[in-house]
Amino acid sequence: MNGQLSIEKDTFKIKEVIISGNKFNSEASGFKKKSIDSSILVDYNNRNLADMLSENTGIFIKSYGMGGTATPSFRGTGAGHTLVAWNGINIGSPMLGQTDFSLIQVGLIDDIQIYYGGASMIINDGGLGGAINLVTKPVWNKETLISLNTGIGSFGQYSGLMKVRAGNYNLQTVTKCYFQNSENNFRYLNKEEGPEPVWQTRTDNQLRIHGFIQELYFNNKKNITSAKIWYQNSDRNLPASMLTQPNTGEKQFDESLTAMLNYDASKGRSNYSFTSAWIMNKLNYVNRLASIDSRNYSQILTAKASLENSIGVNTKLKIVLDAQSSEVKSNNYDHNTTRNTATLAVSADRNVNRYGTSILFREILDKDHFLIPDFNAGAQFRLIDGKEYYFKASISRNSKIPSMNDMYWVPGGNPDLKNEYAFIYEISYEMKQNFSGPLKLIYNVSVFRYNIKDMIQWHPGVYSYWSADNIKKVNSKGVESSLSLDYTLNNLRTGVRADYSYTIAQAGGSNIENDVSSGKQLMYIPEHQANALLSFGYKIFYSSWMFNFTGKRYITVDNSKYLPGYILNNLNTGIKLSLKSTSIDINFEVRNFFNINYQSIAYYPLPGRSYMVKILFQLVK
Amino acid sequence: MKNLVKIVIVSLLIVSCNKSADYPISNYILRGGAFIVNEGNFRSGNGSLSFYSYDSLKIFNDLFVNANGRPLGDVPNSMAIKGNNAYIVVNNSGKIEIIDQSTLKSLATIQGLNSPRNISFISDNKAYVSSLYSDSVAIINLNTFSISGYINIRRTSESIAIAGNNAFIANWAQGKEIMVVNTTNDRLVDSIEVGNEPESMVFDRYGMLWVLCNGGWMRQYYAKLVEINPSVNKVVKTFTFPTKEESPTCLKIDGLGQTLYYLDDGVRQMDINSTSLPATTFIIQESGESFYKLGINPVNSDIFVTDAVDNTQRGYVLIFKNDGSFVTKQQAGIIPGSMFFKLTFETTND
Repeated sequence: MNGQLSIEKDTFKIKEVIISGNKFNSEASGFKKKSIDSSILVDYNNRNLADMLSENTGIFIKSYGMGGTATPSFRGTGAGHTLVAWNGINIGSPMLGQTDFSLIQVGLIDDIQIYYGGASMIINDGGLGGAINLVTKPVWNKETLISLNTGIGSFGQYSGLMKVRAGNYNLQTVTKCYFQNSENNFRYLNKEEGPEPVWQTRTDNQLRIHGFIQELYFNNKKNITSAKIWYQNSDRNLPASMLTQPNTGEKQFDESLTAMLNYDASKGRSNYSFTSAWIMNKLNYVNRLASIDSRNYSQILTAKASLENSIGVNTKLKIVLDAQSSEVKSNNYDHNTTRNTATLAVSADRNVNRYGTSILFREILDKDHFLIPDFNAGAQFRLIDGKEYYFKASISRNSKIPSMNDMYWVPGGNPDLKNEYAFIYEISYEMKQNFSGPLKLIYNVSVFRYNIKDMIQWHPGVYSYWSADNIKKVNSKGVESSLSLDYTLNNLRTGVRADYSYTIAQAGGSNIENDVSSGKQLMYIPEHQANALLSFGYKIFYSSWMFNFTGKRYITVDNSKYLPGYILNNLNTGIKLSLKSTSIDINFEVRNFFNINYQSIAYYPLPGRSYMVKILFQLVK
Repeated sequence: MKNLVKIVIVSLLIVSCNKSADYPISNYILRGGAFIVNEGNFRSGNGSLSFYSYDSLKIFNDLFVNANGRPLGDVPNSMAIKGNNAYIVVNNSGKIEIIDQSTLKSLATIQGLNSPRNISFISDNKAYVSSLYSDSVAIINLNTFSISGYINIRRTSESIAIAGNNAFIANWAQGKEIMVVNTTNDRLVDSIEVGNEPESMVFDRYGMLWVLCNGGWMRQYYAKLVEINPSVNKVVKTFTFPTKEESPTCLKIDGLGQTLYYLDDGVRQMDINSTSLPATTFIIQESGESFYKLGINPVNSDIFVTDAVDNTQRGYVLIFKNDGSFVTKQQAGIIPGSMFFKLTFETTND
């Protein structure tokens, strides 16, 4: 579209000689997957994954606001039910079993693949809601690219991203460095503290993030070997609710380091892939007021091997073996704790004429016992030969191993927890149509249903502290729909993109007599969510208007209280100048144009209108 | 269109009629009952104030927000009344809301307290406020509604009991002492070692101070019930609970100062002259119930128990007569906690 133009020139990568680990669209017939348009990713170079997903997909993000933690709810599931992977390797913290999307910078990522529902089982287990695979990849050509992207904005936001890509057809190196400093000292109207609303300034809300990714790729035509490192640290003050006492001295320090080695080879009708990774996560939390100093360290050693074999012309068989060893050192656990799991997934995909079918079985070995196997099956049907109109249907059983905090946190962790599991049913219709020349349409609608059982909930029990148990049932159902329409003619580019999702996620009853939460919408999950992007470009000018609607979200389990829905509008405009091998793109963005006063979590204020100027300089040689 | 306007006007009238027919809450409060402080969930700001009225035999909820147009705050913990003023200690907001005890309109807010828990009145002019995290007790000037100073007791504090010129301040979280402060000069004068985590205290009819030591929130120690002679600051009697699994809370006493009550897997009842802890429960906690706080009507000894259910949905207040017979169960707010009886002497439940 017409945002800042993709610096990666993804459209030229058709000449890629070999297999890559992500055959995103050829796997799992009948399942729903989506890749975020690379031009959208460039627009979000200096923003985080939470902002990008909430404004461009139907995934709901529960956010404590600028600088605060942001967790996803995918189709009404919990924060731990979205699997997050880097190049197919699960990078979620084994302690929390979830990922803070506010700490993942979009600018470091080349492609974001979203696997809905059972489709996530291609990546790994645990993604009941779905999976988000962050892809970084080389571009096999003989040029050197240097790009610098800086941003400066309201509330003391400064950010910088540098990418250097160099190499030839046999060797590629990619370096990306990133920093973000943000004061987040915005003004907001506090209607909660006194009878009269007062303007206040958010304090103790600073965020600093630094990180880099270094990748090396070797290609000798028959195989590709790669080594990747992703390091990141962040330091932030956690802002308090409007109702809690200020200056609690709450801080969080996160640090992560992932090192990954990958070998992909192709021989005859077989593709082999081996990946090993070491993932370190550190999370220190300090609360001066409550004298809490929580220190948490985890490391995962992972090895994944896959073999893909073609049987005949139409059938593919894939076997994936994945072994993980996780270790946690935490002053909140009784002692250092390790967990070893191994999973074996066998899948087959068959495409004949207009029919496609797929099936997958996964068996998890947890310590020394085998868990009930998971499976999925999907089918798709091309309505008209040669046209991209698909009807898809799938059924899945997927499960999630409890997080290590759920099992070992002191107090309340329960080592006897069982897996959470879900049955997922889904049908969808997808179409892609190129009308006469310049007009392109992509449309998708899906209906899904989830029955989640044995869901883990922390609850007060006979002890004065809360403990974890498999007591919760959730039934969710809903509709997702997305539309994208592009029209390009000579120097004029226009586009419309829209997403809408409707989600009913209800508590499925409990052992409590007259449980008032039973059958009620879960807290903080909007029934309605919609966003739209209207973009326009003419020669070197471009601009876009983004609209985002989030419906009301209940904040009590009996649905007696809720936060009202809100509509946000962002405007974006810029020019892109190119001269020989250099280009410069100057962009101006206004967020929350109508200065709406709103909350995503009750009593956590969010900023009104804000501005940002971004400059993207790029040199290709 | 005209019809529509008429309908609107008529319905407005109906609404306003209903409104005016509504009996103002202050009348119910004047006739006696109990305030219930609903703690709500930590950091969710969904705490609230309820009142059970003996006059109507029902609970009125969300009283603070209805009277003042703003939420009460994050985790209101306790309430006490002095003169015409009610003081609500809002723990995680670090404040005390002072409201008129019958209209419930806000009079003042004392801010800047460090995790305050309970307020205890020393005189018409002075009160002490305990703190979960700081090692000081705050001194409140009741005339100016401000913090006039701090007493460093070198321990965190929970419940406060006053006898003569001494304040007995329990060092609950990870503590095992009762700190004694002279209320005339606000100085720490003594400390009494009791059991682990002294949580609640009451005086009996002979002026003896009973301290319920919870044994630690993770049940590391045996819980104890300790009797102290406050005139000499010495332990008189100690009852040790039979197993570490027993984690009693919320010690209360009836209006006569004769019968002790506490929560321990149901409501337990014990005479102050008893030579052993009660072996049986007086009021049984049914499955699905989660008894949280206890209150005893000082006039007729009615027993009020809050049921926090699952700590996320609205809880209940269960009311029993003194013989343990069930009277009523009423829905309160989220995590109904401590109660404060506001009674006129003619109040009875008969």
